Amino acid sequence: MSHPHQAWSELAAGYSLGSLDADERATFEMHLAGCKDCQAEVDSYRDVVGSIGLGAPVVPPPPHLRARILAETKSVRALNPPTQFQRLLPWLVAAAAMTVAIASLLMYASERSRRELAESAGAAAATQLMHARKQVAQQDSMLAAILAPDAESARLVAQGRPPSVRLFLNRRRNMVVLSARDLAPAAAGRTYQLWGIADGQPVSMGTFNTSADGQATVVLPLATDARFTHSAITDEPAGGSPQPTTTPFIAGAWQ
Amino acid sequence: MTESDWALIERMSRGDERALAHVYDRFGTLAYSIAYHILNDAGDAEDIVAEVFMQAWTSAASFDPARAKVAGWIAMMTRSRSLDRVRARNRRSRVVTALVESSAQPSQSAPSPEVAAEESDLRARVASCLAELVPEQRQALELAYYGGLSHSEIAEALGQPLGTVKTRIRSAMGKLRESLGAYLLI
Repeated sequence: MSHPHQAWSELAAGYSLGSLDADERATFEMHLAGCKDCQAEVDSYRDVVGSIGLGAPVVPPPPHLRARILAETKSVRALNPPTQFQRLLPWLVAAAAMTVAIASLLMYASERSRRELAESAGAAAATQLMHARKQVAQQDSMLAAILAPDAESARLVAQGRPPSVRLFLNRRRNMVVLSARDLAPAAAGRTYQLWGIADGQPVSMGTFNTSADGQATVVLPLATDARFTHSAITDEPAGGSPQPTTTPFIAGAWQ
Repeated sequence: MTESDWALIERMSRGDERALAHVYDRFGTLAYSIAYHILNDAGDAEDIVAEVFMQAWTSAASFDPARAKVAGWIAMMTRSRSLDRVRARNRRSRVVTALVESSAQPSQSAPSPEVAAEESDLRARVASCLAELVPEQRQALELAYYGGLSHSEIAEALGQPLGTVKTRIRSAMGKLRESLGAYLLI
């Protein structure tokens, strides 16, 4: 008789390979977000999946392909993102490149913990109340933004730990709805800033903060029509910064 | 001493076109072989490889050697784009049929045991591991990898029970992980 959790870890191989059926993949992804053992299991298969293609029958490419590639890339500048962002990008674009396994899963780089959240519980009650009032007033337009057929969503999910952030982008109505959970409020004099990343360059999408319960539902105006491939959140001085001054602690790929 | 794969990517990220040429020389055949195995069309395979190396060129700065090997990175991009093209061109059924046939045959690329024992090359190791798999396990794995098929789709394509397919893929992946484990740490 198998241990209950074994039923989950048995899905890790198929998940890494991208061969789980849709419903199984959905439930496994939800489990994966909160299970370190399964994350380790999925990680252990990553290089295996990366190696399978080495077994393909060897077919040499046509000789002209090399020249074609070198010619095509000549006119394209290699991306050179700002240094401070450089450490984040491996997680972001690695996630995009490994579409099979982890298309929308991200890395939670910070050391924040539930304990921090509990300690700051007293600090932001007023913010929370104001937030709730605003929420009721905005409920309808937000739901409309989320449910509109041209809304894109990005799930920024911490790997195995809080916080979790969802983004809903509605280009037609020029708005981004951000929904955060289990994210301790930024320290005094600081704020969270959301960035959209296009061609490796971060563009500010606005600032926000969470209430003491770690939640936020915020509507941010969409000031630009750049096509973002990813988004990330950093901790910044109050008022925000023109470019990120800290390493993003949560990020994700747009689906 | 030759440059490590990662060092080449790092040079590429700084706009070094000769590094790109070296990366193509090392991994171009791998990419083309995978694309061709999936698409069975020289023109499509060529387009895919061009796209893959363009993507590698523009995203080199974000490559993290702690998370992937360069070969795996190239392979995954190639597989992903190839499967996307199969879907986009509505060629799925044709591709699946071809894969069912080819994967039913004995693994062609396995070197002799003597050669495999001497080779420290990862490629030879992978070929050996695949050849050592029970044929039904290898077939299910190849349909998943090269066809992008789900468990249900594989079961239907092969006329096998779903549970059997799941077990075979799990077993194949487990064996590969065990066999390749030490090599992948390099």
